[in-house]
Amino acid sequence: MTEAMIRKKAGMASVKDMPVLQDGPPPGGFAPVRFARRIPNKGPSAMAIFLATFGAFSWGMYQVGKGNKIRRALKEEKYAARRAILPMLQAEEDERFVKEWKKYLEEEARIMKDVPGWKVGENVYHSGRWMPPATGELRPHIW
Amino acid sequence: MTSTVDTAGEPVPTSSLLMAAAKHIGTKCRGENLAFLKCKKDDPNPEKCLDKGRQVTQCVLHLLRDLHQNCSKELDAYAGCMYYHTNEFELCRKEQKEFEKACTL
Repeated sequence: MTEAMIRKKAGMASVKDMPVLQDGPPPGGFAPVRFARRIPNKGPSAMAIFLATFGAFSWGMYQVGKGNKIRRALKEEKYAARRAILPMLQAEEDERFVKEWKKYLEEEARIMKDVPGWKVGENVYHSGRWMPPATGELRPHIW
Repeated sequence: MTSTVDTAGEPVPTSSLLMAAAKHIGTKCRGENLAFLKCKKDDPNPEKCLDKGRQVTQCVLHLLRDLHQNCSKELDAYAGCMYYHTNEFELCRKEQKEFEKACTL
């Protein structure tokens, strides 16, 4: 039935006098709970942390330097090998170029043999130095 | 590529073979190389340095032939390793050591 019929007290005048039904603490109260901060003050000091960081960084940079020396030695080995075989490759290319250039000069003489005033087979700049034949390419080393 | 010689038995100067023998070329043909480079610096015209270029080519080819006669197996192994790893010295250290033990510099 209604709440008043279940929890009624003898001789109460209105519902307002009903005994309360609450969820409360156990008799004697709860056990005490610590909620204050207790941050410990042990562990490495500031100087210790700084020295450890500085030490790790220096050791790391020392390893980087050692690795760079090794890598530079490897690169030097590769460059020295390239320097050693460069004249051979250039000489072979020169032979091939001279052969092709002679063919080109003959072709030019054949084409221009009826043009008056076309000096000779070879017609390059006036500076006196030898220049490689101009192909109109801006960066000929990149195909 | 299994062999460094062509049909006549002459070593073919491919890039892997040249790089494999580069240390030998650098020491044995040093004079010819320097003369050719000096000639080139004075006049870059290819026709002017043809004779020195021929000396360089002859020196290198003779050297390759000698190497092929003295230690052909190690040279073939080293050049083959270079060919496989596209002229990367660090990946062919074993063959390099064998080659330099067989044909000392």
